[in-house]
Amino acid sequence: MSRVRIAIRDLSKTFSQGSREVPAVSGVSFDVHDREFVAVVGPSGCGKSTILNMIGSLIAPTGGEILVDGARVGARPAPQIGYVFQKDTVFPWRTVERNIALGLEYRGVARAEVGARVREAIKLAGLEGFEEAFPATLSGGMRQRVALMRSLVVNPEILLMDEPFGALDTHTKLNLHAELLALWGTRQQTVVFVTHDLSEAITLADRIVVMTRRPGRIKLLYDVKLPRPRDVIGLRESAEYLREYGEIWHALGEEFQERAS
Amino acid sequence: MKTGQGSVWAWRIGILLVFLAAWEYLTGIKAISKTPGLYWIDPFFISRPSAIARRFAYLMSDNVRLPLWRMALSTVQSTLWGFLVGITSGFVAGLLLGRSDRIARVFDPFIVAFNSLPRIALVPLITMVFGFGLLAKIVLAWSIVFFIVFFNTFQGARSVDADLISSARFLGANEGQILRTVIVPSTLAWTFASLTPSISFALIGVVVGEFIGGESGGGLGYLIIQSLGTLNAADMMVALFVLGAIGIVMALGIRQIEVRLLRWRPEYQKR
Repeated sequence: MSRVRIAIRDLSKTFSQGSREVPAVSGVSFDVHDREFVAVVGPSGCGKSTILNMIGSLIAPTGGEILVDGARVGARPAPQIGYVFQKDTVFPWRTVERNIALGLEYRGVARAEVGARVREAIKLAGLEGFEEAFPATLSGGMRQRVALMRSLVVNPEILLMDEPFGALDTHTKLNLHAELLALWGTRQQTVVFVTHDLSEAITLADRIVVMTRRPGRIKLLYDVKLPRPRDVIGLRESAEYLREYGEIWHALGEEFQERAS
Repeated sequence: MKTGQGSVWAWRIGILLVFLAAWEYLTGIKAISKTPGLYWIDPFFISRPSAIARRFAYLMSDNVRLPLWRMALSTVQSTLWGFLVGITSGFVAGLLLGRSDRIARVFDPFIVAFNSLPRIALVPLITMVFGFGLLAKIVLAWSIVFFIVFFNTFQGARSVDADLISSARFLGANEGQILRTVIVPSTLAWTFASLTPSISFALIGVVVGEFIGGESGGGLGYLIIQSLGTLNAADMMVALFVLGAIGIVMALGIRQIEVRLLRWRPEYQKR
């Protein structure tokens, strides 16, 4: 197996709410290897986004540690990490073009190169004709496309995605799955993708981390054996997909049942 | 839409004309009385459109020592200066305090205290310190505009979306770049919303300053006070009409700038 990019060791996070201590994540350990696409699924409130936020230095763990390329994660995100939020984080006062250019501007890339790379990204995302548009005039799916391209245009080696398609309708979501897989196929970033949607996880990932309900522990580490490249629509009718879906669903279902009882 | 606009304007002009005609007519009816020169509605107090127009032409001419247009120019000049200094300082202070909890906590009581002081009460003091000229009027306009802009900017600086800051950081921004590309543009949206009230209040501040400022300060406020001294309603009305016109033009100008600068906001998008 290729080298470990993200090593998570006995990770815990407890939030203080007044005098109450609320454990969100408890003793989680797993590795993410180079060029691997890992999805983290679990019932809502299981701390899956919390884990992602800790990898991205957005919040600090209360126990255990995270190593990114061997270096312990500190107060600032490691430079090789890109992050796509669930929430719309496109800058509303910048046009599509200037949003995608942000990361390149921050890194002081020469103007001509910024223009070329942004044009390429806009073409890849199918956003031609909307270069000068402000986000307020775009649909949710298009805004999330802009956010995705904005992260990808700086070529992050590690991409953290927190339910990036969670707010979109099924049709838009499937289109974006296909686009994401195509983009990932060319660059092969290391991806950690958080979602509550099991079919999304199976469609995209090499490996799935299934979490228990709160406080989140690892319930199951599942290797998705579906061959690549994957056809996001045809896939759902294949016997292999249905079998894998059934296996993980069974594990997740136990978590839902425990909550109900 | 276009035809609707036309009829709206026709109504507006119609109402204005009826109002002016009624004013002219009603102030011309003499009371049936043995005392000569007694009116039902006395033009001595509210003047008449024809008299106002005559005074306007006279005051605009070079026959007077301080022509009307120079007074108007003086008022506009002081207002714009007070406005500019007010929004700049209000923005900087609002941004600074909005982004630093510590400074905000320290200054909070001073700001609340100074803002709850009626600004008009400061007029004599400001006049004493800054004299009767342009500077006193600018300071007065500033003292009002500053707080309007400050409070808006402060709110804006506080409500910058933390996720936008995180996104910028993930894209490789340093603290200076975050300030320039996230905090300032996000806060400016709030600041811009305070520009229209600011220009109106700047004008109020200047006119009050001119009430007390005397002839050396000039301006339309001076004309109003002078007219009170000579019990000249027509001159006073001239000053009020010109002030109204100035107010409208400045508010429309600011509105144009606001629409241009905030064109990215959903409510300013042309559909």
